[in-house]
Amino acid sequence: MITDRIEKIRQNYVNTKPAISYERALIWTESHKKTEGLPICIRRAQAFYDCCDQIGVHIFDGELIVGAVGEFRKCGILTPEFSWMWVDSEMDNFATRSQDPYIMTDEQRKFVRKNIFPYWKGKSLEEAFLKRIPEDTKHIGVDTGVIDSDSKWRQAVGEVTPDYQDVLFKKGFGGIIKEAEGHIAALDMTDAESEDKRDFYESIILTSKGIIRFANRYADEAERMAAEEDDKKRAEELRVIAKNCRKVPEHTPESFYEAIQFIWFVQIGGILSENPLSLNPGRFDQYMDPYYESDIKKNAITESFAQELIEALWLKYSEWVWTISANTADYFAGYNQFQNLTVGGKKSDGKDGTNPITYMALKATEEVKTHQPGLSVRVQADCPKEFMDAVTHLVSKGTGFPAIHNDSVGYQMLINAGYEPEDAKDWNNCGCVVPHFRKTGEWTAAVNMNFGSALEYALNQGKSLITGEKMGLSEKPAKDFKSYEEVKDAFYKQFNNLCKHSIILTVEAQRLHKEMVPRPFLSSCIENCMDSGKDLSQGGAKYNIGPVITGIGLAVVSNSLAAVKKLVFEDHVCTMETLAKALQANWEGYEDLREKAQACPKYGNDDDYVDDIAIDVANHFYREIHQYKDIFGSPFNTAFMGISNYIPMGRVLGATPCGRKNGDPSSEGVSPYVGTDKSTPLAAMKSTAKVNQEIHSGGTLLNLRLNPDLVATKRGQANLGSMIQTLFSLGGFHVQFNCISSKVLRDAQAHPENYKDLLVRVAGYSTQFVNLSKSMQDAIIARTEHSF
Amino acid sequence: MGGYIMQLQNYSVNDGEGIRTVIFMAGCPLSCAWCSNPEGQTKNNPMVHWVETEDIIKEINRQAIFYRFSGGGITFSGGEATAQPEFLKELTDRFYDDGYDLAIETCGQFDFNTLAPTLKKMNLIFMDLKHIDSKKHEFYTGVGNSLILENIKKTAELGVKMVVRVPTIIGVNGDDETMSGIFKFLSKNAPSVGLELLPYHKYGEEKYRQLGKKLPDSSFEIPSDEQMDHWRKMASDEGLNVVSYR
Repeated sequence: MITDRIEKIRQNYVNTKPAISYERALIWTESHKKTEGLPICIRRAQAFYDCCDQIGVHIFDGELIVGAVGEFRKCGILTPEFSWMWVDSEMDNFATRSQDPYIMTDEQRKFVRKNIFPYWKGKSLEEAFLKRIPEDTKHIGVDTGVIDSDSKWRQAVGEVTPDYQDVLFKKGFGGIIKEAEGHIAALDMTDAESEDKRDFYESIILTSKGIIRFANRYADEAERMAAEEDDKKRAEELRVIAKNCRKVPEHTPESFYEAIQFIWFVQIGGILSENPLSLNPGRFDQYMDPYYESDIKKNAITESFAQELIEALWLKYSEWVWTISANTADYFAGYNQFQNLTVGGKKSDGKDGTNPITYMALKATEEVKTHQPGLSVRVQADCPKEFMDAVTHLVSKGTGFPAIHNDSVGYQMLINAGYEPEDAKDWNNCGCVVPHFRKTGEWTAAVNMNFGSALEYALNQGKSLITGEKMGLSEKPAKDFKSYEEVKDAFYKQFNNLCKHSIILTVEAQRLHKEMVPRPFLSSCIENCMDSGKDLSQGGAKYNIGPVITGIGLAVVSNSLAAVKKLVFEDHVCTMETLAKALQANWEGYEDLREKAQACPKYGNDDDYVDDIAIDVANHFYREIHQYKDIFGSPFNTAFMGISNYIPMGRVLGATPCGRKNGDPSSEGVSPYVGTDKSTPLAAMKSTAKVNQEIHSGGTLLNLRLNPDLVATKRGQANLGSMIQTLFSLGGFHVQFNCISSKVLRDAQAHPENYKDLLVRVAGYSTQFVNLSKSMQDAIIARTEHSF
Repeated sequence: MGGYIMQLQNYSVNDGEGIRTVIFMAGCPLSCAWCSNPEGQTKNNPMVHWVETEDIIKEINRQAIFYRFSGGGITFSGGEATAQPEFLKELTDRFYDDGYDLAIETCGQFDFNTLAPTLKKMNLIFMDLKHIDSKKHEFYTGVGNSLILENIKKTAELGVKMVVRVPTIIGVNGDDETMSGIFKFLSKNAPSVGLELLPYHKYGEEKYRQLGKKLPDSSFEIPSDEQMDHWRKMASDEGLNVVSYR
């Protein structure tokens, strides 16, 4: 049962719009003014320290876990060092934009324009990036929706899993400081490399001191509040909070409560340092269970209080907001921070890892219905029945959680990316569906690449159907294609060109990150950076895994190529010329032909005719991308992830031969195109599992909608468990279900006030339905609801 | 060989254990006034087609992995599964040899001696009982119930798990007296069988329109959840094992 305290916080969470705070940006800016000339890692570390030292301390009503990134309970911060330009041009519309609006006052806007932005003019990452990339890459890769990487140069990277097991809980930041001091003392300062290392160690000493200072300021405030508090119970709570904050994160935690507060301070440090995407809590049940079991043994905690603390943490994860541009918000819709928390699965030694915390995490999401953390589970073939029951039970609640992952395929994806077997066994999820590991530096969502555009340019002489602008490589008119093979080759030619520009965008951004935005705080949370004396951005982690390029529209291009093959070259229903004209006309005047195109085989129905094409496209994507190497010499990786990228990427895409019209959404991950997987979810699962998922080490995503009646009973849930195990035996990596009827979703669209806490699965994550723009909502309703 | 079917329905979860494929076989000796699959009453209508046995087997083999993980299999239904006995036998023998879990759903109007060897290969037999009063049975379904009652008794002795299903319809059999009669018959003559009471539904009405047939009597009503629970309790009190595949 959810407690009154949690319910109150939850109500505030569902009913309040997030607001922007410029406090962090102001302190950051003032600090940078004083540190010009120093090494960039020291400057950033000092700015972090100053932030921890000066930012307002806010303990909100009823909180058990404390630490705020700004003055608002639901709060986003600004990071002008990455980009101030998009904020400057967009913030007047923050409150009114359709996706992820924020509250910001005119006074705030005036202040940041006067006191913060001018300093960063010419100094931000965004400006440097736009100056450095070649014109042709910029033409196709900046704000086009064809290839998109703006979250890597208008934002920080994020995409890190702090290492609680081997670093943070083991050493505390006090221990990290001592270790770094030891390393400095041992450096041979006649060695040129030692200078860089010394700077790095000094930077992590500064950030560690910063986060300790931050915690102590909360201890001071909690003590002050306790002294003034009339309610004895709350006063006692505040004293415990003060005690916790004195202890962690400087020292190692000794209780469950201290460990939870520690986690939140790490999250705060990450947020203040860079406003990150995907700062993943990782395998929460693995590192929290020892504290829980020990406290239970000592009678130091009750199960219900531990549950309340977990739920308080879930709300903390959900209250801060990843401040992003309107463009980024199209790709990552729903105030999502992508803090992925993984439970279940095997341990490094191969044994089942489920424990009481596993179940409490699932229960917490069911009770508080927060969109964060992104709750993922790892399921192995012989996982405990109770665990599978708990997973399918949560699915039946319709929250879209948990994201269900195949334990062994995740392992294989990491092995393929070059991990040692014991590390690969210990994988967690990053962001939405990326298999990841805590000793890793990796850009897990570097570029979204629009497969549909490649086909469009192949069939339209290199030009966009919607704008007429030349975007791709030159190509002969469609009418001159004499065979299906010629069409396919033309498609791959354009496709490879998009891959090439995706790589150029990423390598340039990586170079700039290395030069401009080192990450001392987050580097201190990753084991090997300490030994290597190198920041994450310089390749300091144990594993530097190549950036991930995400393919969007696998189903659209597969269905479209199948339609070209069948209509033009096999059944001779029309000529290439007619088909090209129909696409140019957005099918208007070609309704009969469109019907025939829609009747062609569609991916997602276990039909080899089209599934074989999907396999070919996916394998080609892997081969093409994997040949390129990043700045650390690591091969690039591929993924078929979700996020909400299929909406903006569909928007710039003209009509496609599969029967899709101008601007309609593209397709997500390895999922079938909406509404075309008409057989059964079993057929959809079989089609998607034919794609060689294990080679795409950046993760693969399958979203399905299920009629809620199918999982309303225990028996229905058991059958769902069998379905999931079947998919996984076929080689599927991930599946997630939306189990809310179209009727409910339409009602929620009409009466949002009644559905403020209705969570739905977007793609790779869940978020509040009412926080999605109308077009996103429509896209979700349009997904095929599997019934029988 | 082959036979006439309406369709193969993959991902069926209510007609036996686990995830199943239901083979809807055409033709039926009954013509129930409320029939939810009216296209299955004959072998000659636009919604029925001939299919080769080998093609069915191919499709079933594609689904096999889902049966394996869920404990599911194949359910013969209809129309009436026993209306094409040779076709049913051929499929049953093939699937039995392949180790599939088999279930059948039948109206009970069949020649026992012909069907017994096939029925013995089933893992689960669903048999309908629509009314205990033979006259009323004939009025609503076109045939009396004597053969059906006899077949329930005989089939219950085959040693195969069996469930008697009663489609529960207000205006036909949805009253205490009829239900009580059904329960008493079962507890006396087939005490080991499971009993599943299925509430009437109107999902088949669209098919009546497509076939140009007259819709079922509008006075037939769907029982409430409370009424269903009431009769389930009556059955339990009578000593019957009430089951559900929902």
